[in-house]
Amino acid sequence: MPARRDNPTARVTSNVLYLICTVASFVIVGVLILITGYLVSIGISSISLDFFTRVATGDPNDPGGMKHAIVGTLMLLGMASLVGVPVGILAGVYLSEYADDSGRLNSAVRFTADVLSGLPSIVVGIVGYELLVVPMNRLFDIKYSGYAGAAALAFIMVPIVARTTEEMLRLVPGSYREGSLGLGATKAQTILRVILPAATGSVITGVMLALARVAGETAPLLFTALGSRFLTMDPSQPFPSLTAQIYTYATGPYEKEKQMAWGGMLVLIAILFVLNMLIRYVAHRSVRKFQVS
Amino acid sequence: MSGLSMETATAATLAGSPRPARHRPPASGISRFVDSGLRWACRGAAATILLMLILPVSVLLIQAWPAVHRFGAGFLVSSEWRANELEIPVRDAAGKIIQKDGENVTTIEPPSFGALPVLYGTAVSAMLALIFAVPFSFAAALFIVRVAPKIKIAGPLSFLIEFLAAIPSLAYGLWGLFVLAPFLATTVEPALISTLGKVPFLSWMFFQDVEIAGATVRRQLPAAGRDMLCGGLVLGIMILPIITAVSRDVLKNVPRAQIEGSLAMGATWWQSCVEMLRYGRAGLFGAVMLGLARAAGETMAVTMVIGNNNQIVLSPLAPAQTMASLLANEFAEATDGLHGSALLYVALILLVMSLLFNIVARYLVVGKNSRTSGAH
Repeated sequence: MPARRDNPTARVTSNVLYLICTVASFVIVGVLILITGYLVSIGISSISLDFFTRVATGDPNDPGGMKHAIVGTLMLLGMASLVGVPVGILAGVYLSEYADDSGRLNSAVRFTADVLSGLPSIVVGIVGYELLVVPMNRLFDIKYSGYAGAAALAFIMVPIVARTTEEMLRLVPGSYREGSLGLGATKAQTILRVILPAATGSVITGVMLALARVAGETAPLLFTALGSRFLTMDPSQPFPSLTAQIYTYATGPYEKEKQMAWGGMLVLIAILFVLNMLIRYVAHRSVRKFQVS
Repeated sequence: MSGLSMETATAATLAGSPRPARHRPPASGISRFVDSGLRWACRGAAATILLMLILPVSVLLIQAWPAVHRFGAGFLVSSEWRANELEIPVRDAAGKIIQKDGENVTTIEPPSFGALPVLYGTAVSAMLALIFAVPFSFAAALFIVRVAPKIKIAGPLSFLIEFLAAIPSLAYGLWGLFVLAPFLATTVEPALISTLGKVPFLSWMFFQDVEIAGATVRRQLPAAGRDMLCGGLVLGIMILPIITAVSRDVLKNVPRAQIEGSLAMGATWWQSCVEMLRYGRAGLFGAVMLGLARAAGETMAVTMVIGNNNQIVLSPLAPAQTMASLLANEFAEATDGLHGSALLYVALILLVMSLLFNIVARYLVVGKNSRTSGAH
């Protein structure tokens, strides 16, 4: 039987632990803010107009800019979304609208999606190499390529988009479905014209969550897109990306290039911050919509 | 669904429906085509997800097969990692090198691979990370659930934690490489060596047995900075937000009656917290497992700070290697068949391990607290 509140020892213990919890949370937040603050403050000093308008020169004394890497990352994200978003949304629709809830296949798909989102990203990169780079090299004589990089990122996006889409579609009240079907609409019409429009905001949240996750990935790109210091629009070539360029610069020997790495990281964090704010904004708005009932 | 809630739901639907339903004629040929088209597209997408697990596992298994076949389970306990053939001079019974025609007689040792050092590195660095992260995360989760709402900072605090969870690991790696590692090398580790280094039973932390020319020499480890300690610290900082966020969700789901009941019985603040922790222990364990899965599979941050030395050294001040960092370092250069195959064997182990961690974590977190997703 533990001592009660009126026992002085118990009270002191409690107060001390209360203090420890408070201090611990401020330490965590403090350390993490310190790290991000450090990244931002160092990063800002290495960002100039050149940073956004020039590509890498390969000259360690004048490394140029990161335009190629920024464009590369945006293009990789775009290409990955082109594949990952439709597949993810369709799979989410399947889980929420078509699948029999107690069905074995349904729970297998849901379970697989959950497990896939926890796969180490280096494994995704290696699988991408074995499944895409090697066969494409044999068939089309393309080695490392933007296509392979985008596919690796799409691989990470699909389970995230699928699971959030499913969760969000489940929030749409059943009466929407019943009403639509009752008026003679087909299932496809119900999904495409009633359910998905009602949940658009939430589905967008899921897509942005997935984008935020893959925008910072490096390991899946190491053996697929490889990275490049040229600005290219041709995805059949080794493809530049912010993360790969940051990694190359940071682990390299040149001071000026390390500066560029800090700047690149700042740009990446800024992109993620904006995405995060958007996610919160959209999610807040779209969840509130169904809380009326 | 009960009659009453259905009625209210329908009323709300009629009031707030985004698109008033029009009367539609019975399904025509085209809409029936669209209908079955969408159904098959959705089924196809769901099947794709299943394939996304089956294909990687089978590809890794096929590609790793030469190494699996050659080394078997011994791969897990061997600590040799040598991609090149080794020429060893043959010695006679007296230990003298045998010579023939003025040249040493040698045997060729084939390349040999074993995963013990990277398994050890992964396990120890992940454990260090948990030791650093778990106490802080639980304390912060308790603070967010029990204290922060009273002073109205729960919202901003949660946002901050979630944003920090979204920062890419490369950022933590960059900070670890340029700030933490030099700080450890110049300040923390020399201080540790000069104080704890003199304690006799702690000498394993600061010395390493090295074999030089056949003799074992005890050598003091230099303050390297990029070592197991640094890797563990960076990993720990990296998994702080995720463990905090998930355990916050778990603690939030503890029924209020559980807390109020214990307070009404005369429990102190801390005693009621213990009650909460006990109630949510399965979910909290799940949160730790999620953190462990993250730490064990993390690549870039670790590769940048752990020193990348494929050896087992007991001391946390020695450079080490994890499965993921080994793959990041060597996969691009593995031209030789067996070397590549051995690396894929490591990747397969990593894949299976992270699947296990994630399955246990999902089971614990989702099973006990229905529909808690770490992302929100």
